[in-house]
Amino acid sequence: MSNMMDRLKSIATYAFILLFSGFFFIPLFWMVVISMKNPIDQFTLGFVPWLQFEPTLRNWEAEGFKQAAENLKALMNSTIIGLGSATIATVLGALAGYALARFEFKKMKNVDILSYFLSLRFLPPIALAIPFYVFMQRIPVGTSGLIDTQLAVILIHGSAFLPYAVLVIRDAFKSVPVAMEESAFVDGASVLRVLTRIALPVVAPAVAAVFILTFSFSWNEFLFAFVLTSKNAFTLPIRIAESVTAIGVFFYALSIRQLIAVIPPIVLGILVQKYIVSGLTMGAVKA
Amino acid sequence: MAKLTIYHLFILTAVVYVLVISIFPMIYMVYGSFTNWRLGLADMDWVGVKHYADLVEDYRFYNSMTVTGFLTALAVPIEMVLGLALAQLMRVKIRFRRIFRTIFLMPLFCAPVAVALMGEIIFYESGGPVNSVLNILGLGNFPWRSSPVIAPFTVVLCDVWMWTPFCFLITLAALEGIPRELHEASVVDGASSFQIFRSVDLPMIASPLATILMFRIIDTIKIFDIPFVLVGGGGPGIATEAITIYIYKIAFRNFTLGQAAAISLVFLAIIAIISSVFMRRLRRYYV
Repeated sequence: MSNMMDRLKSIATYAFILLFSGFFFIPLFWMVVISMKNPIDQFTLGFVPWLQFEPTLRNWEAEGFKQAAENLKALMNSTIIGLGSATIATVLGALAGYALARFEFKKMKNVDILSYFLSLRFLPPIALAIPFYVFMQRIPVGTSGLIDTQLAVILIHGSAFLPYAVLVIRDAFKSVPVAMEESAFVDGASVLRVLTRIALPVVAPAVAAVFILTFSFSWNEFLFAFVLTSKNAFTLPIRIAESVTAIGVFFYALSIRQLIAVIPPIVLGILVQKYIVSGLTMGAVKA
Repeated sequence: MAKLTIYHLFILTAVVYVLVISIFPMIYMVYGSFTNWRLGLADMDWVGVKHYADLVEDYRFYNSMTVTGFLTALAVPIEMVLGLALAQLMRVKIRFRRIFRTIFLMPLFCAPVAVALMGEIIFYESGGPVNSVLNILGLGNFPWRSSPVIAPFTVVLCDVWMWTPFCFLITLAALEGIPRELHEASVVDGASSFQIFRSVDLPMIASPLATILMFRIIDTIKIFDIPFVLVGGGGPGIATEAITIYIYKIAFRNFTLGQAAAISLVFLAIIAIISSVFMRRLRRYYV
């Protein structure tokens, strides 16, 4: 009797999990299917290549050759902005995180400084986008300042994702023993030397994960990039958002741009699985 | 004066960076909200509290607050409950656990813009896959995006797709952190699995759950990308015009930055109030 109950329970469990796997996976799968369909097939339900529809690479070719210039530009911009802002966030975050983990500040307590960074995480980007746009416009270079440059987006992304870096890297330093560092200090090493030669290598995986996470955040970010860029520095999210008006319901073309945008962060996300939980909760929940 | 060390320098770099990039522009915005600040015009005349007074009678402001409240009140509980249910099921040893976990992780790393456009393709009303299936079932075409009544629910559905994995992952991490002995003891005592869940698991993960709740509430209040892209800037009409979208339109379509600044600051105040409640909770993690 109880055996049968267990069986039913486990069947129900698998059914539920499968249902939601479908829910999460099918939309992504559908993008792949549609990207390989001929225009004439795009509103059919077939999803098995060769059996239900004749797969084609013509859409990929069209996006890769005819549309290559603009797609490539978006790809380059996203990469440069991602690398730039992730570097700023990770470097500043590592310095601040180290200081917060190893030194006790007197005037302002460590927890107050941490709260300062944490509260930045809650700032609504739209409230920041308005004054930052004007700020960038007033920078006296060219006709419209830093508007529509990669630098403007790098600067704001660096600031927006810095709190993650500070809190997660500080957490990583906190969780490793200080004995090695202390003995190095006794030997007369400087703080900078201890940090770069002894402390950082120990937490390197966490720092790398922070770099990858902030890179993905920047890669996916829309609002700042949308407000600050137009013809030159547009990123992939802008490119795909514009596709709707530009190419209408040609979903077979749109799906390719989407896949180009979502695949890198998904792969990176799977790579840093171990750090996602503490990364996304700013160290509040430990995996 | 306290002795300045290299640690102060480490902290100051990060703090000053954020001050220059984010905080000072926002302080400038406070001044701007009392003037007739316009995009592209240099002169700013003092108008006092006019922009704030105007808000009292601004029906679109109230509409955007209602929309934001509705989206948050509907999406967040669904995400929390689904995330908890999936985590509870996935914590036991099931087959292909890693594969399922990876699938559940994927939406989290998709750009919200891409999610919105996936929604556009999936819910395309004449010939999209969902409506095609509904047609086969004889349910007719469903106005996913064109009906002002349904559109908010479609936005919620996309948000749930994107953010349930966040709730799932972190709840799962919290559940896995519960010591095994607690479970074994309850099983020996003859407790049913529901009893164990209610009296052992839930209290043990209450604090991480509260953290997830907080991040989800604050992030959903700031929702921008999905309604902006999925339903053409908060449409149909203003049915999904969240507060962030309303601010965006005033700032970058009407170019009346002063008014946008005033609304931004009201919005910021609301977020500050909500997050201050949570900040007190979160501080404990950093002591």
